[in-house]
Parts: sequence; structure tokens; C-alpha cells
Amino acid sequence: MIPGAPEPLQRLVAELGKLPGVGERSALRLAFHILRAKDGYAGTLADAIRGAVERVRLCSVCCALTEADPCALCADPRRDASLVCVVEGVADMLAVERTREFRGRYHVLHGALSPLDGVGPEQLRVKELLARIGAPDAPREVILATNPDIEGEATALYLTRLLRPAGVRVTRIAQGIPMGGDLEYADQATLIRALSSRRDA
Amino acid sequence: MQILRIEVCDFRNLGLVQEAPHARFTVISGENGQGKTNLLEAVYYSLCLRPLRPTHGAELVRSGSGRASIQLLLSRGAVTETIEVSVTASGRELRLNGKAAVDLDRWFSGTAVVAFTPEDLSLVRGGPERRRRFLDRAVFTRWPLFLAESRDYHRLLRSRNRILAEGGPASVRESFEGPLARAGARVVTRRRAWLTEVAKPLAGAFDQIARIPHGLTTLYRGPPEGDEGRVEDWLRGELSRRAESDQERGFTSVGPHIDDLRFSFGNLDAHRFASQGQARALVLALKIAEIENLKEQLGFSPLLLLDDVSSELDPDRNRQLLDYLGSLSGQVLLTTTDPEPLLVRLGGRSALWRVTAGSVVAE
Ligand SMILES: Nc1ncnc2c1ncn2[C@@H]1O[C@H](COP(=O)(O)OP(=O)(O)OP(=O)(O)O)[C@@H](O)[C@H]1O
Ligand SMILES: [Mg+2]
Ligand SMILES: [Zn+2]
Repeated sequence: MIPGAPEPLQRLVAELGKLPGVGERSALRLAFHILRAKDGYAGTLADAIRGAVERVRLCSVCCALTEADPCALCADPRRDASLVCVVEGVADMLAVERTREFRGRYHVLHGALSPLDGVGPEQLRVKELLARIGAPDAPREVILATNPDIEGEATALYLTRLLRPAGVRVTRIAQGIPMGGDLEYADQATLIRALSSRRDA
Repeated sequence: MQILRIEVCDFRNLGLVQEAPHARFTVISGENGQGKTNLLEAVYYSLCLRPLRPTHGAELVRSGSGRASIQLLLSRGAVTETIEVSVTASGRELRLNGKAAVDLDRWFSGTAVVAFTPEDLSLVRGGPERRRRFLDRAVFTRWPLFLAESRDYHRLLRSRNRILAEGGPASVRESFEGPLARAGARVVTRRRAWLTEVAKPLAGAFDQIARIPHGLTTLYRGPPEGDEGRVEDWLRGELSRRAESDQERGFTSVGPHIDDLRFSFGNLDAHRFASQGQARALVLALKIAEIENLKEQLGFSPLLLLDDVSSELDPDRNRQLLDYLGSLSGQVLLTTTDPEPLLVRLGGRSALWRVTAGSVVAE
């Protein structure tokens, strides 16, 4: 609440303040910036938000964010469909993509098993992954590239036991990434090493 | 390591504190409830990044303030460094020499702190969680990496307990049990390694202080003896064997969080038969053994924080403790409501601070 501020401004500040990492003071700063900006910036921003929300959805194959379904990566015939890299989030996928080393496809779980946060297999895109393993053009190898922290390790173990009986080769990226580290923040050289020296899970 | 300067702001009941402690003894005096222990806690917390007494982070911030900060100017080895910790409702922030710090190895390097609190004195006759806490604190001082290892273990443990309580699927539970067994084996192995290291200094200190005719026997009660891999296998087997009964109880019934450290004199169980004085002598011997071991392993005397220990020991043991402290070369911060006897014994090697309602004045 900003005493004396007009109601629409209060609303804008309140909504901005719900964004992660944005406290009340930064919300207020952002709101003033939006109000003062010229050349219809506010309208452009509003359109961009609405457009993203309306047009971006999950790829029905890999569960990454996409406008077209299947996504550009899943539709690209040059990508090796026999190799699927499983990551926790879209940011992790982008980190692996930036290395330009990996020529396979992805599967985005949208999280990791975390009993303490109430996240079980049903909250993750595990069913969709299983469906891919059972499909006609199933991958031969699944690379588990979940984070090397507690939840990421447990998720990798869980998936290993789930996928192995389906007859697919399951590998885990090597621990080149510091324990407790985040895939998203791993530097590229480390990530390339971790991907190339993966081992059977 | 030596603290050259302490700056505290809004930590617990402390307002603004800016003082330079003595290179040897700083006697922190004041009536009950004025903030003496809080000052020791500020020092311990900033150096070790864990609380001296079990607490929630938010309690560390002075009520009415939004942010607590502790800054120490340290001389470590050949360098002078500043460490700064600030605590707010949203978390903790670390700065080393003014820059945001992420490398905890650097933070802890050249640092060792041994705290001695009245709670330690009930180590022998109190419950097993006291002894586990004592052991873990000593292990952490010896191997700072243990902070992360023990944190991992407890997060995995809470995860398994949550799965048990909520009746989660076995496949999810088992995915956490493998890592739990591995982390548990690491904790057990670290604790045993520490006990092995201190065995000799402990026997020596005990003979000198306790004057009990039978020697001291120390036993870590936990998984069967063996290397880390064997302990891991054993723990994994037990976790899976106990899955059903643990599910009924809603918690994990095996692992380092259940283990105990047992002492006996001859064949007498110290936890049941030690007199108050004998029990305290044993604790004193344990602390001295810990300090002696650190000196040997690290090559310098650790910083000692003694919270109101004098008032809990009889005059004889007090004299032994002070003589021992006097023989060391490191820095000592000690709190007391009655500074005079201490100052008489410590003489010119000490400074006196008075704490009143959260403010600190050097005399
Ligand atoms: N977050 C906080 N904000 C304000 N006051 C606090 C906070 N946490 C603790 N206190 C107060 O600090 C006081 C206790 O300080 P401390 O334990 O350091 O006392 P002490 O000088 O060691 O006393 P004693 O001689 O009894 O051990 C209590 O009055 C307690 O209410
Ligand atoms: Mg106190
Ligand atoms: Zn896709």
C-alpha cells in the first residue's frame, strides 16, 4: 500500500510485486518507469505479456515452451531423435543448447522430485517422457541432466528405475558440475565435459 | 587466527557494537540477560555460519529492526581480511573483503572456533541429541566441509520422513534412500574419524583432570565398524528393511541422527554412574582434547568462546581450566557475571568489556 497513490497505480505495484525477486520498492520503481516511459511503451509491454501468455504453450513432445507444436527443435529433422536429454527446466535446456555440442533432443520435466515442496512424479512431466519411450520412434538413449543437488540426484535415480525396464539406455551426465550447483549456471566448458563423459546410470 | 575488530549491528538484543578484543583474553561481563551470550553468538555465527544455539534465522535480527549485521576484521595467516554477514527475513548475505562471497572454503580457511557453553556441561548426563550436537560441532570445526555434508544428510532425511508421513510411493522413497545412505555414511565416517584423532589427547587430558582410577572408554554407537562404502551398504539395507515399520512410525529409525556417543569409566556406564563433578571433568577433557587436536592438525590455536563456564565449575576445575587456557597462545573471549576473580588470574593479558541492555563498553 502506498498511502495517497491512485488506485490503478496501487494495483500495478501490487501485481509487479508478486514477481519473484521483486520487492515493494522495486515494484514501485518499475511502475513509475512504465508510467513515465514514452512512445507507447506501456502498450507494447502489455501486448507482449498478453501475446506470450496466449501463444506460448508446452510442446506436446518435449514439454519445452513453444509457439508452434511440436516445437522447432522437435520438428528439426537434423536433430538426432535417438538421443534425449532430460532437464529440470527450460533454462537448463537453453544452457545445454548454448554449448552447441549436443545434437539430440530434449525433455523438460518442469521441476525435480521434492517431497519437502510437495513435488511428486505427478507434478512433473514424467508421463510424457514415458510416452516417448513407448512411441514408435523411441530414443535409444536417455541422458539424465538434472541438477547435481539432492532433488536432482533423486529424480535421476527415480527415472533410471522407471526407464530402464522399458529397454532404453539410461545415462547420467558426469559430475563435472560442482555438487549443489545449478546446471543453468555451469560454465560451458564444464557442461560440455559433463555431457561427453556421461556414464550409465 | 585473531579477531582485530568486532562490529555488530542489530543482532539479537545488541544495538551497535564496535570494539577491538584483546589478543589474548577478553572478559565480557554484565548482569543476566544483558547480551553477553548474544555477543559470543554473533562472533560464532559470522565465523562458522551456523548458530551457537538452535535457532530460527529470523530470531537473530533485533526485534524492530529489519537487518542484523556482523563484521569481523581478522588476521588469518599472513593476511588481514574482513568478513561480513547480514541477516534479513529473506535470508543471509555474506561478504568477504567487501565482495559478495560464495566460496565457503575461502570463508573458513585459516579459521577454527571452539565454543564451550553451559549446555556442554550436561553432555554426559543429558540426552543423546546433546552428544550428537557436540560431536557434529567438533567435526565441523575440524572439517568445515562437513557443514554442507550434514546439511545434505538432514535434507534427505526430512525428505524421506515426508514421503513416509504422506504415504508416498515406494519408487519415490527408494530414490531418496540411496542418497540418504550415502550422505549418512559420510556423517558417520567423519564422526568416527574425529573420535580416532582425539583419542590420544583425550586419554591424556582425562587422566590429568578427572583423577578417576579407571581409564575412559569411548564408543560410537551406530552402524557396524567399516569403511565408508560398507557403512553406506549397511544403511541402505537397513532403510529398505525398515521401510514398513518406519512408515507406521512416520519417521526414519536408523542413521547418524539416531546414533550416540557413549562413555564409560572402567566398566561403569558414565551416563548413569558418573558424579556431577566427574561428568564435568570429562567434558572439560573433551574440550581440551579438541583444542589440542586442532592445534596439531591445523598448526594454530583455535579461537575459544567460553560462555559463563566458570560459574558452572568447582574452584579446582576452574583453576585447571584457566591454567590450561593460559598455556595456550590463541585468543579467548569469555563471558561472566563475576569478572573480578578472572581478571585477578589473567592479569595484564586481558581486556574487560561490560554489556548493559545490548550495548558494549570497553573499560
Ligand atoms: N531478536 C532479538 N531481539 C531483541 N532481543 C533479543 C532477541 N533475541 C534475544 N533477545 C534478548 O536478549 C537477551 C538475552 O541476551 P543473552 O542471552 O546474551 O544474555 P546474557 O547476558 O548472556 O545473560 P545470562 O547472564 O543470563 O546468560 C534476552 O533478554 C532476550 O530477550
Ligand atoms: Mg548468557
Ligand atoms: Zn518439443
